[in-house]
Amino acid sequence: MEVKITDGDITIITISGRLDTNSSPEFEKVIEPVISGSVSNLALDCNALQYISSSGLRLFLMLQKNISQKKGALVLRGLSPEIKEIFNITGFSAIFTIE
Amino acid sequence: MQKRLIIRNDISELGAMNRFVETAGEELGLSNAFVMSLNLVLEEAVSNIIFYAYDDRKGEDEIRISLRRDDDTLTVSLVDAGKPFDPTQKEDPDISLSAEDRPIGGLGIYLVKQIMDEVSYERKDHRNYLCMKKQITA
Repeated sequence: MEVKITDGDITIITISGRLDTNSSPEFEKVIEPVISGSVSNLALDCNALQYISSSGLRLFLMLQKNISQKKGALVLRGLSPEIKEIFNITGFSAIFTIE
Repeated sequence: MQKRLIIRNDISELGAMNRFVETAGEELGLSNAFVMSLNLVLEEAVSNIIFYAYDDRKGEDEIRISLRRDDDTLTVSLVDAGKPFDPTQKEDPDISLSAEDRPIGGLGIYLVKQIMDEVSYERKDHRNYLCMKKQITA
């Protein structure tokens, strides 16, 4: 798993590889400044995200709750069909803006 | 055909389990898409065992994993000697709630139950037995 944060008008978090039980703590650490800071317009670039488990899903939900509290906007980009299916199963498709 | 793996009850073992699922999936003739779902099922079920059945004894015991294919039925079995832990008793999350109202977490076993056709649990001889079945088309 690799994460890159690019600041701009919209902050972009680019995540690649596997977001699973083992890598989620690292992802949580990297996104902590976004959560505790003032960023309210955020895009998650998931084009290179190959796999996500419930430990990754909970962090996506945490980001969504945080951005909603700040009255901002979060969009998810580039979800693979397999990951979209997991979003459908868990009801996440209805709570995220997916481009 | 049956494929078996024994891992320690430590999440650092999940990488080895993923590699096992990739190789065994190919040998059992499963599709790539289903192998990814199977990876997820095993990660969720096994990490729950490690976190809840072994919250007091990390890394000292073993979890036995078996994948068996009989024609179009795949049976995934997990056996551990941790505390009694029945994941099938966990209540399903309400997936119709808004982001604000959704609790964080509680999705792992729900994913397992949605992906597999049957999930059953038994406690015998001081061990947890979790059995998960799926009809497969490829």
